[in-house]
Amino acid sequence: MKLTRIAGVSLAVLLGTTVLTSAQTITVAMSPPSVETNRYWNTPGDFNLGPAMQGLVGHDPVTGMYDNSGLAESWSHNDDFTEWTFTLHEGAEFHFGYGPVTAADVVHSHTLHTGEDSTLIGVAQLKDVAVEALDERTVKFTLPRPQIDFLFAHGGRGSLVIYSKAQYDAEGLEGYDTRPAGTGEFQFVARNIGQGLTFERVENHWSGRDAEVERLVLRFIGEPATALATLLSREADMAVLPRELQPDAINAGFEAIGSSNAANQTAMLFNGTFLTEGDDKLDPTLPWLDIRIREAINRAIDREAVIDVLYDGRASILPVFGMDPRHEGYREDLAEMFEEYYGYDPERAMALMAEAGYPQDFENPVIPILSSNLAGNPEFPTMAELMQVFLDEVGFQTEIVELDWAGLGALRRAREARLFHPMRNMPVKPSAVGIGNYYASSGRPNVNYEDPVIEELNTLYAASTDPQEREELAGRIFQQAFEQYAVAPLASLSAEIMVNPETVAGWTFPGVTSAGISHFNLIEPQ
Amino acid sequence: MLTFLFKRTLYALISLLVITLIVFSLSHLSGNPLDALLPDDATPQQIEQVTRHLGLDRPIWVQYLTFLQNAAMGDFGDSLKWKGQTAAEVVWERLPATLQLGGLALLISIVVALPLGVMAAVYKNTALDAVATVIALLGQSLPAFWLGLVLMWIFAVMLGWFPTSGYGGLSHMILPAVAMAWFQVAALTRLTRSAMLEVLDAEYIKLARVKGVRERRVVWKHAFRNAAIVPVTYFGVLAGSLLTGSVVIETVFNWPGTGWLAITAIQGRDFPVVQTVVLFFAVLFLLANLIVDILYALIDPRIRNT
Repeated sequence: MKLTRIAGVSLAVLLGTTVLTSAQTITVAMSPPSVETNRYWNTPGDFNLGPAMQGLVGHDPVTGMYDNSGLAESWSHNDDFTEWTFTLHEGAEFHFGYGPVTAADVVHSHTLHTGEDSTLIGVAQLKDVAVEALDERTVKFTLPRPQIDFLFAHGGRGSLVIYSKAQYDAEGLEGYDTRPAGTGEFQFVARNIGQGLTFERVENHWSGRDAEVERLVLRFIGEPATALATLLSREADMAVLPRELQPDAINAGFEAIGSSNAANQTAMLFNGTFLTEGDDKLDPTLPWLDIRIREAINRAIDREAVIDVLYDGRASILPVFGMDPRHEGYREDLAEMFEEYYGYDPERAMALMAEAGYPQDFENPVIPILSSNLAGNPEFPTMAELMQVFLDEVGFQTEIVELDWAGLGALRRAREARLFHPMRNMPVKPSAVGIGNYYASSGRPNVNYEDPVIEELNTLYAASTDPQEREELAGRIFQQAFEQYAVAPLASLSAEIMVNPETVAGWTFPGVTSAGISHFNLIEPQ
Repeated sequence: MLTFLFKRTLYALISLLVITLIVFSLSHLSGNPLDALLPDDATPQQIEQVTRHLGLDRPIWVQYLTFLQNAAMGDFGDSLKWKGQTAAEVVWERLPATLQLGGLALLISIVVALPLGVMAAVYKNTALDAVATVIALLGQSLPAFWLGLVLMWIFAVMLGWFPTSGYGGLSHMILPAVAMAWFQVAALTRLTRSAMLEVLDAEYIKLARVKGVRERRVVWKHAFRNAAIVPVTYFGVLAGSLLTGSVVIETVFNWPGTGWLAITAIQGRDFPVVQTVVLFFAVLFLLANLIVDILYALIDPRIRNT
């Protein structure tokens, strides 16, 4: 074996392989973003320039709470949350000599991110917002309606990244395409289409926190088996792998590092459950409009088996999709009642089906289960198959419907996604965003469940600026979703990355971005 | 000969026009690019704004005619996925990677398949023939992605001789090129073998042997030259397939060529790039076949005179 390796290395040298790299270069193999561009506002939120560019607000790497590790040193708001004022760090500066970060850069970036070509997730939070530079370091956002969660627009999965106005004035958008000046602990070196991004450490960073790694390479690999091979061959020091491939890496001596907080929630949605009276998009033949069917489906699912199969046991059962201890309205009592309401009980499921008259009293008794691929959630097709097994076992008639994620998006936008389909909440969003996305008409057209009780509560919740009242209203919304079996919640899990312990000693990241990973400056090389 | 050339070129242009219609229709039938471009929580206002921005609110026939008119001028529109670049630029930038990989795969196919096919025919029913048959059988029955992964596992992960994937020098190209070439080697070997067997049985070959011509000369000069018309015919398909890139192999090996581009653009519903890359593939195939037609006519006078 040794001889063959020597022969191979000689051959590789002869052929010009350049895999010998500095010990201070860390290569991360990860899925390619959906849009490869340096213009963040032209992506749906894939922030692969994270090592180099920042928003106004940062996150604590352990707790995930907002902190001033972004560009803003501090912030404040008025009583009704319609005015937010940010003060920028003194000394914060752009890479490549583009000067200090000023309020004018924030105004300029806001204009870019809310333009006609913006495809950003959550950009609605920034639309119709007036942004004013009060002085060099102070910028005020005036909102058309109260936004308690306004910091979300500026944090890890935010919708506003600060670009240099000076660079734009000098080079236009082409400057950003070629070499965007950011403010992070790493600066941009190169983007190779289809291959990845390279960054280098900024020496004496303005924040006083220099990255430990000299050079960082994000290597885009779409095929999971190839990403695993890249890790096993030591071409990459870290790789984001689907959970079913992680045991292969662990068996080969690699280790998993997880985010310090839950980064993702998964669930199966009963889409099309529009229970508000007079909704013309309601299909009355949907079998799950009957709450007994929704409960029966939930009772038919063995969540522990789901977690074992899909997540290799490294996840916890999720009581309410969208609810999280870090955000408004978390109800411990719902978590405690989960077993009573949702516990795996095939006999109870069959009894409920019989009571509901399933299948004979149903015009359309078939449960269409969507099988689809979503980047970052390679387990979704297996999840669909598992659901079919559980549902078939208790006597449901099922069919697997194959559709790409974009196709599901089209159906959701038309409010015609009459499917039992997988969904994720990644990163775990503030309660108001989650409620809008999954349970209330305020999130139309994409919302999957609506009922009059939640509508009423959500109207009050959206209008309220009293923290205590909001806490209570959000809790009541989650309780209604829980009691109505509005979705089939499955798992709460951290973002995980496999690392080579010979080259990486550790990494702490809070799991607050769409990709799950962030805080690249905290990667500790061996 | 000129009439022959004119006719073939005209047929190619008509084919191209039909292809533009099919490509445009199919790419729009597969869904709306907004579904891939916009996030899950896009608001109705955002959807309307981006629809207008991309011109997707115009009637489909207006979009097609605009596409055709612009395409005739070499303008295929701006990429939706690779912002800041035109679709033509995106395809053009991927072309060298595909030509490098396809060129090497083509070279491997020819260098391996032609001698192997000839030798298999000359040494019919011997161990060499059996080896050639096994190679051909495996090449045509093994899925390319599986073969690619196996090669990657053995030669990159276990032996460490080559990089697993990515764009780079010759060492990066060998595994994907072998994976791409194997299928073509199989097809070409079988074609060459059967063509050679037919020729080796001809009367003029027997006569050459009776006259005492050396066996090597009989095989390579008299037999192979006459048998070559069959593999030459296949070169159109072979070159077309290899030079347009293998979608599967380029994806498995993360090789950023036009095949990788095609699948990535389709997944991202980047219509301008999908249309450009498919039209580019079509033009390459048409050109390859046109060249083969011309070669065929040059080799066989009966074809150009009919």
